[in-house]
Amino acid sequence: MSYTDTTINQSHISQLPRLNRRQITVLVMAIAAALLLGVVIGGFLLSNEKLMTNFEERSLSPSIEHPFGTDWLGRDMFARSLKGLTVSLGVGMLASTVSVFFALTLGLAAATMGRTVDGAVTWLVDIFLGLPHIVVLILIAFAMGGGTRGVIIAVAITHWPSLARVIRAEVLQLRTSEYVQLSRRLGRSRWWIATRHLLPHLVPQLLVGLVLLFPHAILHEAAITFLGFGLSPHQPAVGVILSESMRHLSTGQWWLALFPGLSLLVMVRAFDALGDNLRLLIDPHTAQE
Amino acid sequence: MANKKPLLNTVLLLVLLITFVAGCSSTKSVHENPDKNELVLAVHGESETGYDPTTGWGRYGSPLFHSTLLTRDNDLKVVNDLATNYEVSDDGRTWTVTIRNDAKFSDGKPVTAADVAYTYEMAAKSGSVVDLTVMESVKVLNDHTVVFALKNPQSTFENLLIATGIVPKHAHGKDYAQKPVGSGPYKLVQWDRGQQLIVEANPNYYATKPFFKKITFLFLDEDAAFAAAKAGKVDVAVVPPVLAKQKVPGMRLLAVDSVDNRGIMFPVVPSGHKDKDGYPVGNDVTADVAIRKAINIAINRNDLVNGVLEGFGTPAYTVCDNLPWWNPETVIKDADPEGAKKLLADAGWKDADGDGVLEKGNIEAKFTLLYPSSDQTRQSLALAVTDMVKPLGISINVVGKSWDEIKTMNHANAVLFGWGSHNPLEMYNLYSSKTRGIEHFNAGFYSNPVVDDYMDKALGTTNKDQALEYWKKAQWDGKTGVSAVGDAPWAWLVNLDHCYFIRDGLNTGKQRIEPHGHGWPITANIVEWRWNE
Repeated sequence: MSYTDTTINQSHISQLPRLNRRQITVLVMAIAAALLLGVVIGGFLLSNEKLMTNFEERSLSPSIEHPFGTDWLGRDMFARSLKGLTVSLGVGMLASTVSVFFALTLGLAAATMGRTVDGAVTWLVDIFLGLPHIVVLILIAFAMGGGTRGVIIAVAITHWPSLARVIRAEVLQLRTSEYVQLSRRLGRSRWWIATRHLLPHLVPQLLVGLVLLFPHAILHEAAITFLGFGLSPHQPAVGVILSESMRHLSTGQWWLALFPGLSLLVMVRAFDALGDNLRLLIDPHTAQE
Repeated sequence: MANKKPLLNTVLLLVLLITFVAGCSSTKSVHENPDKNELVLAVHGESETGYDPTTGWGRYGSPLFHSTLLTRDNDLKVVNDLATNYEVSDDGRTWTVTIRNDAKFSDGKPVTAADVAYTYEMAAKSGSVVDLTVMESVKVLNDHTVVFALKNPQSTFENLLIATGIVPKHAHGKDYAQKPVGSGPYKLVQWDRGQQLIVEANPNYYATKPFFKKITFLFLDEDAAFAAAKAGKVDVAVVPPVLAKQKVPGMRLLAVDSVDNRGIMFPVVPSGHKDKDGYPVGNDVTADVAIRKAINIAINRNDLVNGVLEGFGTPAYTVCDNLPWWNPETVIKDADPEGAKKLLADAGWKDADGDGVLEKGNIEAKFTLLYPSSDQTRQSLALAVTDMVKPLGISINVVGKSWDEIKTMNHANAVLFGWGSHNPLEMYNLYSSKTRGIEHFNAGFYSNPVVDDYMDKALGTTNKDQALEYWKKAQWDGKTGVSAVGDAPWAWLVNLDHCYFIRDGLNTGKQRIEPHGHGWPITANIVEWRWNE
């Protein structure tokens, strides 16, 4: 979540000279929302018929009836991908929410509870940022025995540090502002200051943090599931679909991996772009570009 | 968020790459000129516990490094191996075995009666999967004769003489399982755990010397074995049925009949108990015989064979289809959802709340079916069965777990198991009241005194034909039994063909009906293998 590493995609902007940042953001937001709604509603309306095994229609390549083809049990890959994305969305949403909650708690604690706590949290953040992400994820998911719970906890535990650092810096800055100082002199309680002055300022940061974490969480869920440490193979998650497809790629059934993989990428890209643009909008330095 | 972009790009690259590779790789492969005297096999079968017959290596036959007192020929007839002769006393309790005097271990020392007695004593003491509880003692009569005394006659004792490789008393130490010394056709040269095992022909082997001087076993998973076959890196590769219809240049498909079956084990007692380790026992849904029978009737076994196994298999109705002790009356009419629905309705199951799942009292017809998550064939079977019984109003939740986890859950949930042996003792282990909750055997806690009685009689008789009759009656005697016409504690689904890609020109002789796939069943006749002229 650091604010330095995600540079503005200049080429992207120069290709669309007529749109300003807000318009781009609105556009990306619309795309992301459409995708989200499509997946959620699609997943909800999806008839179980298509997810069922159908030996008559095994291993069919993409057609009008089965746009993503079918697998070795005759299940419709479009339906499976859609279902897989809803599972991924749910896991991603929950994991990133928990992660943001961690970040908020630790960031606030670091900034307001004295030097020792600050030192401890900063140390923890450095440790987590220093360790290779995917290794820690795998270790935690494995220790939790895999499954949905393991993945959510693993993703939640590993994704809070950068946001916590941002929140800590923000709160430290806010604490020295005049109106906070004034409130303190007027005898307002810490709780009052935190809820009335600090939190409202943090809401945009948290929202952007959430949106940026979300695609990351989805991708990591798919990654550890693909590696076999995440969701169980009977769940139609995208990671599971991709990992199962590996065995059939050598027999030429390319559609088993390509379409689910692409839909995951499109979803992740859309939310990533949305997060980036929101962040740039909120940042006063880039908001007017 | 520091590594977000690289990860994204990596995933994209990966997807493109595998698609590309898949697109190009199917037409051409490089086949190296095979070394005349050496073979490379990718046929699974790495033993986790090593290669010590006293702790279970070779119990499904063909121990490769060891020879056994008796063995089976390609027609599964019992013939002598180390033994030259054996006699059973009239009461069936004393077995006297004479062994040949020209047999030597790979270290050059002779195989004696003392080694045989030592092997059986150690195996009985090991407390492993080798069940020698029936053996009272084993004594050396002279250098070439041993006498087994049994506590009671056991018709299947012969199988223990077939499945127990003889170990040398002088070289049976702590690391024996890693460095076995035996009197079999090959000796172990090198074992890199999880990767490969290299064997060389045993120069001291007393029977027909094998043509191939060196064999390398590669431990690859199913996909990798297939890929290795396509790349021309192996001479024999075992593949799952789903890949068996593929064409591999320079290789031919060999589908070997087997008694390797797959079936669903149901817990047959109601929930609320615990086993001796504290794990839950019983399942209220599968405890109802109507549920178990309905599933048995509704399943379309032919569809499973054609759909999941690509036709490389046959429908299964018991654990021992087509073996001498199989009772053909156990074959039921399946693929009959209407019959199954009626059976359930008669037993009081109905969908009162209209959610598509039946209820009886406050029990919903829902249960979990476990399978080992790394096994795609079992996963496919489980998913297909789930969809086949859904229209009945039975909801199965298919869950993939590791074997360690399954061990703690298999008394309270249905499990997709695989069995299949040339020894009827396996049937006893699966259905006897005495094996309830032991290992994976009678995991569902099935118990029927009539069945127990038949099986005890089958084990206890010295008359082989009579034993077969009792085994058959245990399956179905006209009133009760362990098959789907009786108590239906299992829903047997399919018998698999074992599918191998074999390099053109490699003659693997006559293949026998293979048991459940532990070890290397295809190597049972390895001494007959050679290149076609």
